[in-house]
Amino acid sequence: MSGDILTMEKGRDELLVALQEAQRKYGYLPEDYMAQLAESLDISLSEVYGVATFYSFLATKPQGKYVIRVCKSVPCYLKEAESMIEFMERELGIKPGETTADGRFTLQLVNCIGACDKPPAMLVNDELHGDLTPGKIKQILSSCK
Amino acid sequence: MKEINVTINGKKVTGREGQTILELAGENGIDIPTLCYHPELPPIGSCRVCVVEVEGSRTLVGSCHTPITEGIVIQTHSPKVLEARKMIVELLLTSHCGNCFMCDKANICELRGLAAELEVGIPRLMGKKRFYPVEDVSPYIVRDLSKCILCRRCVRACREIAKKNIFDVGYRGFDSKIVVDCDRALDKEACRDCEVCTSFCPTGALSKKKEPFKEDKRGKPIVVGAGAPEQDT
Ligand code: FES
Ligand code: FES
Repeated sequence: MSGDILTMEKGRDELLVALQEAQRKYGYLPEDYMAQLAESLDISLSEVYGVATFYSFLATKPQGKYVIRVCKSVPCYLKEAESMIEFMERELGIKPGETTADGRFTLQLVNCIGACDKPPAMLVNDELHGDLTPGKIKQILSSCK
Repeated sequence: MKEINVTINGKKVTGREGQTILELAGENGIDIPTLCYHPELPPIGSCRVCVVEVEGSRTLVGSCHTPITEGIVIQTHSPKVLEARKMIVELLLTSHCGNCFMCDKANICELRGLAAELEVGIPRLMGKKRFYPVEDVSPYIVRDLSKCILCRRCVRACREIAKKNIFDVGYRGFDSKIVVDCDRALDKEACRDCEVCTSFCPTGALSKKKEPFKEDKRGKPIVVGAGAPEQDT
């Protein structure tokens, strides 16, 4: 075969672990941090950013205290996920990808979170909520202080 | 090197170990269209334009990155293959926004060439378009990512050939985009006198910045019609 697999830079395999660590520590991945990491692993900043933006559980912007990840995959979609998302947008006054002005909530759409048996489903930080209804969502949101 | 027996389009030929289907086809005068593949770059098999049929395989396989094996039976231009190729290019064109009339690279665009060659015809599908504003902050290169088809040739060429490693792929799915640093407009001094990526880009997404017309390039004004001064030749 002509050529090899893309050149493997030396620090590449440590990249994801480092990013997860930083995500835990800072709540998101600040640009300075990514730039430093790129330098110390001897890879490009573009590559670090590429990996950081690929995964739904890594963020490149500061996140709200509660990160709401609503499933948009097919089983949930068939069970009205769409209207739950709309309801949440109205309740929070933000669109997916945004954070409320008070920094309390971030709304995100993600692919299957493994709760297809109780669709529509969402995660609030690490907590799973299934069989969502507007009433239930209201309750959950108001319990997030 | 070990010889490998292959049947390609019904003809028995021999290839060498480690050779890809595409390379073998080329050696035997069979032309398989490609897009993300480039002979000077490592293959990544991202565009699927080069698919062929391999007997016993559940799916069509990418010929640019699949090595031949002993006894393999290949069809490079079966109806199934041609239909798939056509559809692949059609889908690429669906999200590609750009008007070929207005594109500087229209005559050398590989995507446009392929669409013509495969007789893709006028667009039937109405899908989302990928739209990005043109980046022309760099004094050396203009990036028009609306025309990008994510073949990653620039990523590989900049990494493997120019050794500058400026690009990578960011985001995912439909939002995937060739990024520079934390998704900044391309503006690197390293791009000066380089032009590697622009020459590898199959579409009009990357091009060399044109020098604005200078007085001396413009020449004498041409006056036509009555009252035009006599030209001294
Ligand atoms: S599809 Fe929503 S949790 Fe699996
Ligand atoms: S040319 Fe083979 S997959 Fe793109």
